[in-house]
Amino acid sequence: MTTLINIHQLTKTYQMGDSTVHALRGVSFTVASGEFVALMGPSGSGKSTLMHLLGCLDTPTNGRYELAGQDVGRLSRRARARVRNEQIGFVFQTFNLLPRLSALANVMLPLQYRGRLAGSVVGKTAVSALEQVGLADRMHHKPTELSGGQRQRVAIARALVTDPALILADEPTGNLDSQTGQEIMALLQQLHQNGRTILLVTHDADVAAQTQRVLRMHDGAVISNQ
Amino acid sequence: MTFFNTLRTAFNGIFSNLLRAGLTTLGIVIGVASVITMLALGNGARAAVDANFRYLGSDVVQIGVKEKIDQGEFVPVGQILSYEDGLEMPRQVALVDQVIMSIAGEGKVRHGRNVVDMPLLGATADALLTLIARQEVQPVEWELSKRPLPADFLAQGRFFTPAEVIAGADVCVLGHKTARDLFGGDNPLDELVWVNRRRCIVIGVLTELEVTNPALRNRTRPNESFYLPISTAIANLFDRPPSVVVTARVSDEARMGEARQQIIAYLRQRHGVEKDATGVYADDFELTTRQDILGAQQEAARTFAFLLAAMATVSLVVGGIGIMNVMLVSVTERTREIGVRLAVGATQRDIVGQFLLESVLISAGGGLLGAAVGVLSIPLAAGLNRGVALLSPQSIPLALGVALLTGLLFGLYPALRASRLDPIEALRYE
Repeated sequence: MTTLINIHQLTKTYQMGDSTVHALRGVSFTVASGEFVALMGPSGSGKSTLMHLLGCLDTPTNGRYELAGQDVGRLSRRARARVRNEQIGFVFQTFNLLPRLSALANVMLPLQYRGRLAGSVVGKTAVSALEQVGLADRMHHKPTELSGGQRQRVAIARALVTDPALILADEPTGNLDSQTGQEIMALLQQLHQNGRTILLVTHDADVAAQTQRVLRMHDGAVISNQ
Repeated sequence: MTFFNTLRTAFNGIFSNLLRAGLTTLGIVIGVASVITMLALGNGARAAVDANFRYLGSDVVQIGVKEKIDQGEFVPVGQILSYEDGLEMPRQVALVDQVIMSIAGEGKVRHGRNVVDMPLLGATADALLTLIARQEVQPVEWELSKRPLPADFLAQGRFFTPAEVIAGADVCVLGHKTARDLFGGDNPLDELVWVNRRRCIVIGVLTELEVTNPALRNRTRPNESFYLPISTAIANLFDRPPSVVVTARVSDEARMGEARQQIIAYLRQRHGVEKDATGVYADDFELTTRQDILGAQQEAARTFAFLLAAMATVSLVVGGIGIMNVMLVSVTERTREIGVRLAVGATQRDIVGQFLLESVLISAGGGLLGAAVGVLSIPLAAGLNRGVALLSPQSIPLALGVALLTGLLFGLYPALRASRLDPIEALRYE
């Protein structure tokens, strides 16, 4: 299996007033292509910071981050936007759908930022992403007309639509009841079976247990990897 | 993102809060509307000036009496400009080869039981030529490209001759409507009318005329006119000798300045004008040339342009601040949306484009609305300005351009602010 994520001695420090916060104190691990990995840890352990770095929403203070063989840790803001658009799909705890847009328009959004794609291609790709999450029949509904589980499915379709190398899911079941949460986990499992690489941030042990591997974090460092 | 998608996104942004966007444009609407109306007023005034002075060729000097206001009335500051002053001018002033004189008065005109109170015009024999040169009026449905001859202005009979003018003959020429008012359907030719207490023979009737400039048509009544030889008019219509208006033609256009000095010297000598205590001649007459009018017009145009620029600037700033304010609120409200867009791969340029286009669309909407309001309020402005306001065609693109520029300038800061948001912070924003 090829290595998708390779991070080495990643550190991140913030300046909060007079004090320096060490959010990450030298984190190293790899994720192979096609893996389904959970990232666990209590709040303040640095898992959100790590997730932001992996998602190219932020840059590390020190250390190295390679995504699919490309060093993405030192890219410009514009180049990171491109990596986010082409290589990464985000799934958030609070869904983060745009309320005024239909499900279909929400899913089309990442492709529209890709540039010169024909409108018909964008539409077709988005519909097929919605079919994959089983929501093709509700694509013209606004997020407010959908249930929580359905909203998260739309968000997953949005993450899938660009055919990204990596799906980053930040507490995807955190805002859902357990049964709906289970349905979302089943959907992620199914995507994993189809060869997707998924990194899932959670503090729910039951959710983490459904992945192949769990990375536990504490005080800005990975304390177990199994 | 393609332009079309950006456009759709910007439209969505506006329509999600249409009322707010509408209120925001108010400043721009008022600004653009006032620019268009002001330009129409200026344009109308210019057209009126053009119409009034077009006859003033570059080879003529118009001479009138200098007046002052005394107890609410215009009175001459010194001597009047008399008929004889004008009559002697070609003989006494080397560079003047011809003069045309006219005098306006009012009186009662009667035929049988029909009486009309109306303006009366004392004129020289070339009055119709002056009418043609002024181009203020033309025969009804006259083809614009064709230049009318004096005969085209006459429906019946003839105009008076130079000999009749010098002799002070009791003859008159009637306007189309005046003839109908006095004679009904009867033929007025060779009939007698009473002007004040004197009898005149009608020797001609003018054809029906219309004002050339459509914008001025409701202001003047070109068919109510009554022409008398100027000498007859002076003798009959006035208790005291009146001032005439003299239009002197200069034989050599290149020597206008010299001719002007000659006319001034001639009139100063005739009127016995002396230097006053400060060493300046206290002239009791005024000379006007085309050059003077053009100069005054340019001066007025400059003042007007300055006013307009000041007004446009104020509306630009007021409207622009309104837009900036609303866009800043909008950016704050939509922080999370911006975060999502950044997360799925929007570049800073995409975000700038989205918000900039939104502010430009708002200002363009305001500009269009303002243009409509401006055009519709032109008749109103015309009413307040005695009927002179003409839409200036280039004012609409100008005003729209100003509106767009406002949206662009004042939308820039909010758009840049939106694009500089940290995606992580933006996604966390509640």
